[in-house]
Amino acid sequence: MSRYRLGYPAAALAALICLAGAACSAPGSSSSSSAAGGGTPSGPIKIAVVDAQSGSSSDLGQFEYRGVRLAVGQANAAGGVDGRKIALSLLDDQGDPTVGTELARKIASQGAIAMLGTAESAVTLAMAPILASEHIPNITSGQSTKLLALNSPYLFLNGPTGLTYDSTLAKYLVQKKGYKKIALLTNNDSYGAGEHDAFLAALKSLGITPVADKVVPQDQTNMTPALNAIRGARPQVLFIGAEEAQSGLTVKQARALGLTAVVAEGAPAGTPLYLSTAGAADANGTIVSSPYLGNDVSAASRKFAAAYTAAYGSAPELHGAKAYDGAEVMIAALKACHACTGLALANAIRAVHYDGLLGSFRYNKQGVGIFATSIGIIRNGKIEPVS
Amino acid sequence: MQSFFQTLVSGLSFGAVYALVALGFSLVYRTMGLVNFAHGAVLMIGAYVASTFTLSARLPFAVAGPAAMAVTGVVGLVIERVLRPLENKDFDLMLIGTIGAGTVLEAAAILIWTSAGRGVPSPVRTSPLVLGGVRIPPYDLLVIGITAVAMVALTLFLQRTKRGAAMQAVAMDHEAATAAGIHVGRSNAIAFAIGASLAALAGALAGPMLYVSPTIGDSLGIQGFASAILGGFGSIPGAIVGGLGIGVIGSFAAQSFQGYSDLVTFVVFTVLVMIRPTGIFGEKTVNRA
Amino acid sequence: MRALARPRLAGLVLLAVAAWLLPYQLNVYWISVADTALLFALLAVGLGLVMGIAGQVNLAQIAFFGVGAYVTAILTTHDGFAFWTAGVLAVLATVVTGLVVGTPALRIQSHYLGIVTLGLAVAFVDWITNAPVTGGDSGISGIPAPPLPGIDLTSQYLYYYLELFVLAGGLAFGVFVVRTPLGRRMRAMRDDALAASAAGAEVGALRMIAFVLASVYGGAAGVLYAGLIHYVAPETFSIADMFLLLAMVIIGGRQSLAGCVTGAVGLTIAQQELVNLAAYAQLGYGLLVVLVVVFAPAGLVGIPGRLAGWRSRRRGHDGPGAALEEFQPLAPGAAEAPVCPEGVILEVSHLVKRFRGVTAVDDVSLRVRAGEILGVVGPNGSGKTTLFNVISGLYRPSGGQVRLDGRVVSGSRPYRISQLGVARTFQHLRLFGNLTVQENLQVALDRTRTWQSWRYVCWPVGVWRHDRELRRRAAELLTAFGLAQFGGVRPTALPYGIQRRLELARAMAAAPRLLLLDEPAAGLNGEEQRQLAAIVRSIRDSGVTVVLIEHNMGLVMSLCSRVVVLDSGTVIAAGVPAEVARDPAVLEAYLGKSAVPSPPPSPSPSSSPSSSPSEAPS
Repeated sequence: MSRYRLGYPAAALAALICLAGAACSAPGSSSSSSAAGGGTPSGPIKIAVVDAQSGSSSDLGQFEYRGVRLAVGQANAAGGVDGRKIALSLLDDQGDPTVGTELARKIASQGAIAMLGTAESAVTLAMAPILASEHIPNITSGQSTKLLALNSPYLFLNGPTGLTYDSTLAKYLVQKKGYKKIALLTNNDSYGAGEHDAFLAALKSLGITPVADKVVPQDQTNMTPALNAIRGARPQVLFIGAEEAQSGLTVKQARALGLTAVVAEGAPAGTPLYLSTAGAADANGTIVSSPYLGNDVSAASRKFAAAYTAAYGSAPELHGAKAYDGAEVMIAALKACHACTGLALANAIRAVHYDGLLGSFRYNKQGVGIFATSIGIIRNGKIEPVS
Repeated sequence: MQSFFQTLVSGLSFGAVYALVALGFSLVYRTMGLVNFAHGAVLMIGAYVASTFTLSARLPFAVAGPAAMAVTGVVGLVIERVLRPLENKDFDLMLIGTIGAGTVLEAAAILIWTSAGRGVPSPVRTSPLVLGGVRIPPYDLLVIGITAVAMVALTLFLQRTKRGAAMQAVAMDHEAATAAGIHVGRSNAIAFAIGASLAALAGALAGPMLYVSPTIGDSLGIQGFASAILGGFGSIPGAIVGGLGIGVIGSFAAQSFQGYSDLVTFVVFTVLVMIRPTGIFGEKTVNRA
Repeated sequence: MRALARPRLAGLVLLAVAAWLLPYQLNVYWISVADTALLFALLAVGLGLVMGIAGQVNLAQIAFFGVGAYVTAILTTHDGFAFWTAGVLAVLATVVTGLVVGTPALRIQSHYLGIVTLGLAVAFVDWITNAPVTGGDSGISGIPAPPLPGIDLTSQYLYYYLELFVLAGGLAFGVFVVRTPLGRRMRAMRDDALAASAAGAEVGALRMIAFVLASVYGGAAGVLYAGLIHYVAPETFSIADMFLLLAMVIIGGRQSLAGCVTGAVGLTIAQQELVNLAAYAQLGYGLLVVLVVVFAPAGLVGIPGRLAGWRSRRRGHDGPGAALEEFQPLAPGAAEAPVCPEGVILEVSHLVKRFRGVTAVDDVSLRVRAGEILGVVGPNGSGKTTLFNVISGLYRPSGGQVRLDGRVVSGSRPYRISQLGVARTFQHLRLFGNLTVQENLQVALDRTRTWQSWRYVCWPVGVWRHDRELRRRAAELLTAFGLAQFGGVRPTALPYGIQRRLELARAMAAAPRLLLLDEPAAGLNGEEQRQLAAIVRSIRDSGVTVVLIEHNMGLVMSLCSRVVVLDSGTVIAAGVPAEVARDPAVLEAYLGKSAVPSPPPSPSPSSSPSSSPSEAPS
C-alpha cells in the first residue's frame, strides 16, 4: 500500500503555523465577510459579475459582460459614484449551480457589495440564499418564476418574467391574430420547462388547448421526430421554448419537413444567433415576444448600439441590452444612497425609477421591474415591431 | 403511416452517421483490443475542422471532408504514439488514457474555437425528395451512400491488402506478428489513424445535419458505442446494422418518450448487452490471454 | 517494515492536528472549498475501492453521488422526513443502485463494464432532468441542514468537522478492508481473476461487494452534499464531473486510498484557482491523466516510492542479494486422508470440450488414484491444459463428467472446486503481480467464504485476528518453500525459477488434496528441475495426489507412477511410463523424439496433425 513517508519536519511546521494562528473560539467567528465590507469608504466600489464564460451558455455570458462593462465604463468616465470608481470582477460559473454557490462565497469574501448576473435561472436559484445571508443584492438576467418564489429581498430581475413574455405572446396570437391550433415544442432544461408551463398557462387562460405538446432533451440537435409528430397535428402556430441555437435548428428542420406553421417564441428568437442558425429564409416570419426588439427601435437603443459597436466592434442584442439596463439600475441605486451596502442598497434598488432600453423600471416587492414586452416579426433578417 | 415512414427515414439517416462512428470504434477494437473513449472527441475535432474549412476557407465540401479526415488522422497517430507503452499490457489503463485524451481534445477545441457552436450549411442545396408525403433530404441519401462506400472500402482493406492482413495478424497474436516481421506499433498506429479519420468523416457529415459544438461528440460518441456493441464489437457488418438499429430505435423513442429518449435507449441497450454481450454478429478482437 | 510504523504514526497524528485546526485559517470562501474537497475525497475513496482495489471499471460513481443527494433532497423537501432519517434511507437507496449497477459486472468486465456504467450514469442524469419529482433542470432547493444537538450545522466551518469525521471514518474502514483478507482477495481478483478464483476467491460476490462499498461512500457523500449546499441540480452529477472524479483518482493514485484523497483535494483546489480559466484547467487535468497513465501508473503518491527505488538501484546493492533457500520437506501424511470410493480421487468420464467448432478435448476418460503422481503428456495442442481447465472449473464441459471423490464437480465454479480441495498451477505463470510474495500466499491460505465478510461491519476484531493468523501461516509456508527472504517483494521482481516456486507454494497454501501442475518445469534449468522433482515427491508423500502436465520426459519418467498420453484431444495410451514409452501409437505421435532423459525438447510441430489450440480463447 502507500508507503509514502510524511515529511516529518514539514508536517511539524504546518502544525505549528496552525497552532500559532488558532483562536480559542470556534473557527469562522471572526470572519471578515459579514455584511460585505465593501472596502474602505474611499476605495473603489466592488461589483461582481457572475456569468457563464465557458460551457454552452458562454456566448450569453459574454454579451452580458459587455453590456455591464459599457454601463460601468460610462459611469466611471462621468466621475463614478460620489467620486469613487466602480471596479468589476468577472467570475465564470460554468453554467453549474454548485460552482455558483462557491462563487457566492468567494465574492462575499472578496468584499463585493453587489452582484450582476447570472443569465441562468438554475445558477441564480442556487446562489440566492447565500447572497441573501451575505447581504449582497443581485440583479439577475434570469426570468424563471421560481426566482420569485424565493421571496428574497436581495434579488431583482433586469427583465420581465417568463410569464410576461408568454402571456403577451399568447394574447397576440389568439386574440389579435385569431390562431386556434397551436403546437408547443420545448426542451427540458429550466428555461424550456419554465416556458412550457408559462405558455401553457397563458393559453389555458385564453381558453385554448394546444394540438401538440412535445418535449426534447436540451442537448438534442435532431428535432425531426418531435416535429414529425407535430406536423401530423397540422398546427397554425408552432411555439418554441428553447435556447437560441436549438430554436434555430428547430425552425430549420421544421421547414425541411414541410411544416409551414408560423413560428412564435420569446426572447431567444430576437437574437442574431437564432437568425444565423435558422438561416434568414427559414427565420422569416417568426413572431418574437421581447422587450428589446432591435437596435433601431428608439433613440435610446440607437445610442446604446452605437456606443456598444464602438467599444466592441459588433452590434448588441437582447442580452447585452438587459445587462446594460441592470447595471444602470444598480448605478442609479448606488448614486441615490451614496454607495450604501446590504439591505439599504437593496431598498435603494427597489426605489429606483429608471427608463431603460427595455422599458420603464418600477420594482415591486418581488423584485420584478418590467411588466410588459413587445411583439415583433422577423422580416429579411430584421425584427419589425407590429403596430 | 406517413409519420411512421418519416420517422424511419430520419432514423436511418442518423443511423448512417452512427454506423460510421461505430466503424471507427470497431476497427480500433478489432485490431488493438482497445475501446477508445476519445472517439467522440475526435469526431468533434473532425466536425470543427471540416466546418472551418467550409466556412472560413470556403473550400467545397468534397475537399473539406477529406482534408478534415487527414488532419484528424494525424491526431489519431499522436494519441496512439503517446499511449503505445500500454498496448497489449494494461487494457484498463489504456482505456483511462483515452478518456484523458478525449478531455484534452475537448479542452483544446474550446480554446481554439470557443464554446459557441456554429451552424454548417448543407452542401446539397436541392429541395427534399417527396415520396408519398415522406420528405427525404438528398443530403441524407448522400450520407447513407458515403457510409456504404466506407464500409466496403474498409472491408476490402482488411481482407485484400497486406496492411490489412497485417493488422488482423497483430490482433490475433502480437508476438507472433512481430516474429513474422510486422511492426506492431506502426500497424496499431495506422489502425488508430484510420479509426480517427472515420470519426472525422462522421463528424464532417453530421455537421450540416446537426450543430457543431464542443458537445457534438458526446452524444454521437455514446450512440456510436452502443451501435458497435449492439452489432458486435469489432464486426464491420455489425457496425452498420447496429448503427442503423440504434438510429431507428432512437428516432422512435424520441417520438414516444420525448425528454426521456436517451434513458430509454440506454436501458434497452444495457439489457441487450447483458443478454448477449457479444452483440448480433459476435465480438471479434485481440486475444487477451 | 516495523521501523516505518513510528514515524508514520507521528506523521498521521500531525496530519490530524493540522486538519483539525485548518478551519481557523480559512475565510468564508476557502472553507466552502475545503468542504467541497472533503466531499470529493469521500467519493474518490469509494471509487478507489471499486476501481483501484477491486479492478472494476465504474463510471457510475457520480450517479451514486447523485442518488444520495437527490433522495435526501426529495425526502426532506417533498415528504417532510427528518434529515438523518432521509440520509439513512438515501444511503440504502444508493446501495440498491449499486447492486443494480454491479450486476452487469458479473458477466462483463473492462471496457464493456465501462460503457454500461457510463450509460447508466447518463440515464440517471436524463431521469433527474425530466422527472417532475426531481424538479427537472431547476433542481430542488431549500434542503435543511442536518440537526445536531448543540451544533449549528448551517455554519460551513462546523460542517467541515462533520465531513472530516465521516471522511476519517470512511478512510479508516477502507484501509482496514484493503489490508485484510477481503481487500487482499479483491486485489488478487484485480490482478488475475482466473488465478484468484482458482485460489478460492468468489469473484462474483467480491465484485458485488466492491460495488456496494463504492455506493455506500458515494451515497454518504451525496447526503452530506445535500446538507451542505441545500440545493441539488442535474449539472453537478454530469458525465464531465464523472471524468473529473476519475482524473482525481488516477492522478492521485487509484490503488492507494490516501492517493485518492490527495488527488481529490489537489484537483479541487486547482479547479478553484483556475475557475476563470476553465478550459485551461480541463486541458491540464486531461494531460495529467494521460501522463500519469503512461509514465506513473501508481499516481502521484507512487512517485516517492519509485524515486526511492530508482535511487537505490543506482546506488547498487552491498552484500549478497536475497537467495532461494532449501525446501523443507513436508510432514508425511500431513494432508487430510481422502474419502474416495475405491481409492479414486478424480474420475474423468467421456469428457468433451468444444470451442466454436474446434474440439479441444474429445471423449477423454481417466482415473486418478489417491496418492499417485499421474503424468499427462502429449504434443502441443493435444488438449492437456484444456483438460486441466475443465477439471479446475474454468470451463464448463461440452459433454461428459468430472467427479471428485465420487461427487460430480463438472460445471461447478472454480472457487467451489478449490474449496473441495483442488489446487493448480498455470502453464503461463499467473501470480498476483501487485501483491507481495507473502500476500500471494495469504490469499490462497484464506479458506473462508465471502459471506463471512459481515464480520467487517459487526466484528472487526475477528477479522484482524484472522488476518494475523494468515500472516503467521504464510511466513511458515515461505520458510518451508525456501522463500523466506522474498516475503516483501513483488513477484515480477523475482527470477523466473523463483516465481515458479512461488506459484507452487501458493497452490500448496490452499491445503489441497489434489494438485494439478501445468508444465511446472518449463523454463527451469537442470538443478531447478531436480529441486522441483524433490518437492513434488515430498508433496506426494504428505498425502497429496498430483497430476502433472509435462513435456520433459525425463522428469515424467522419474516422477510419475502412471502416464496418460493425449493427442488431438483423445487418449492414445495410458499406463506405467515404461510401457507407454514403447507404445507404437505414442511413438508415432512423437515421431522423432526419444524416450530417454533429455533437456527440455522443443515441440515438434511436424508430427502433430492437430491444429486445435490447447489454450482456447478465454
